[in-house]
Amino acid sequence: MGKKLFVLVAATLQLAAIACGSTSQPAQPSASLDCSIPKLNLQTAGLLTVATDSPAYDPWFSKNTPANGQGYESAVAYAIATQLGFSKNQVKWVVEQFDSSYAPGPKKFDFDINEISVSSDREQAVSFSKSYFDVNQAVVALKSNPIVNAHNPSDLANYKYGDQVGTTSLAYIQSKIKPTKTPAVYNTLDDAVSALKTKQIDAIVIDTPTAQFMASQQVPNGTVVGQFPTTGEHYGLLFAKGNPLVACVNQAIDKLNSARTINNLQTQYLSDYISIPVIQP
Amino acid sequence: MVPTSTDRRERRSRLLGGRRGVVASTTSTLLVIGLLAFLLLLAPGSAEVRHTFFSLNDMRRALIGDPQRGLFSVAGGLVLNIEMFLIAEVLILVLALVIAVIRQLHTPALLPIRLLAVAYTDFFRGVPLILVIYAMGFGLPALNIEVISTQEPVVYGVAALVLSYAAYVSEVYRAGIDSVHPSQAAAARSLGLTEWHALRFVVIPQAVRRVVPPLLNDFISLQKDTALVAVLGVIEANRAAGIYSSTVFNYSGYTVAALLFLVLTVPLARFTDYLVAIDRRKRHGEVAA
Repeated sequence: MGKKLFVLVAATLQLAAIACGSTSQPAQPSASLDCSIPKLNLQTAGLLTVATDSPAYDPWFSKNTPANGQGYESAVAYAIATQLGFSKNQVKWVVEQFDSSYAPGPKKFDFDINEISVSSDREQAVSFSKSYFDVNQAVVALKSNPIVNAHNPSDLANYKYGDQVGTTSLAYIQSKIKPTKTPAVYNTLDDAVSALKTKQIDAIVIDTPTAQFMASQQVPNGTVVGQFPTTGEHYGLLFAKGNPLVACVNQAIDKLNSARTINNLQTQYLSDYISIPVIQP
Repeated sequence: MVPTSTDRRERRSRLLGGRRGVVASTTSTLLVIGLLAFLLLLAPGSAEVRHTFFSLNDMRRALIGDPQRGLFSVAGGLVLNIEMFLIAEVLILVLALVIAVIRQLHTPALLPIRLLAVAYTDFFRGVPLILVIYAMGFGLPALNIEVISTQEPVVYGVAALVLSYAAYVSEVYRAGIDSVHPSQAAAARSLGLTEWHALRFVVIPQAVRRVVPPLLNDFISLQKDTALVAVLGVIEANRAAGIYSSTVFNYSGYTVAALLFLVLTVPLARFTDYLVAIDRRKRHGEVAA
């Protein structure tokens, strides 16, 4: 029986390998895009179902209440909804953990807005909208830590960094800072913050707005040491792979950009959070 | 009594239920495998599931890792699991035996220590391991005491594993000690051995031999539970797999971690079965051929 089982497993793996190349079905942008609400591919007809994680952090959301329209991501979601023709009451929020947002199978949301960075690897599993925020990485530390004064590129490699699993900051740490000590990777940002407070790690690398919120609200005696130059990283809305809704949402984002709405929302919600000196990795 | 070849044949035919039994067992096994294959290969979402969980390319990348891109090797992580397991195992065996012996001593003056040992086992068997790991890994550094608060996360993780598992294992030891007939200790005492010496030279050696299979069972469980130390930021196999899956949005790294843990635990599980079989044969008065 052992042999039979082995043959079967081997066959299964082979099939899996074959299937790898053929699962993607890119959305076909048609020449004449009909984005009226009845024509949209929605979870629930007439409603725009938007997901984010809980707790939803500042300054992306406010008071952990996505439906209040406050905070940058909440405001962007409502701006897109309005652009598509939805009223505020036609937007329904659902909770989606980051880890399950890219699971196979049907999604329970039309799009997920949760500070998710776009990458070509990730585009194998889901579809992303155009950028609604261009991300820089920043360093948060206690004011008493040596990194506050000694952060030349050569100094930076000597510190112990911490992060939340799933952030692109870990890739940034590994590819640009190249630290000598293995970074610590926690389940949540809150765990990383506790580790920072108790000096288990020297610094957290995270996107600039989150870093500024952390240093000002979550870590007593915390400070943002600086932010790194852009790498072209950006946040996009996450859709089920191949969802044709992406095209209409992208069109909405284009219109919001040309009306400078997105720019104004960034000024309104993030300006206090993104004016940070730039340091080199 | 040495088992003859007839004995063996009998045991074998009892297991499979004779010739008709062989047909039945083969059919049922094929049916189950067929059903699993059907689910994996022909279900509507199977292509997506296979790609997300069993993509060979992703499994290879997760296994090897790519540190430059923030992807840590799952195999490299497993080395840390094995290190944690080996260190914890030795400490657990020692600490658990000490606790079991304390609970077995009858000296009246030692009552407070006995009560402490009882409280210890009750507490650590009752509190979920993950909470012990959290409490030690985030609580002790917050105390801000020299040495105790400045250890690496992996040290707190191993300490939590030791505290929790020693409580279970001490109970296994205690069951072993209780299973040694009281006449053994009585005979030892009548020969002039002290209570401690009777325990040390007569009871414990017999007790430990009897509880080896259940001890190994606990250690199989310990091997997997080393993965929980990841909550302290330690990049072991499971965390490396988690980093991979959340970076590239493909769960195949978890499949690699699961396979590696199986490679680690299955031999120990089979070895435990083997020891149990030997033990059973001995108890039935047989001698292994």
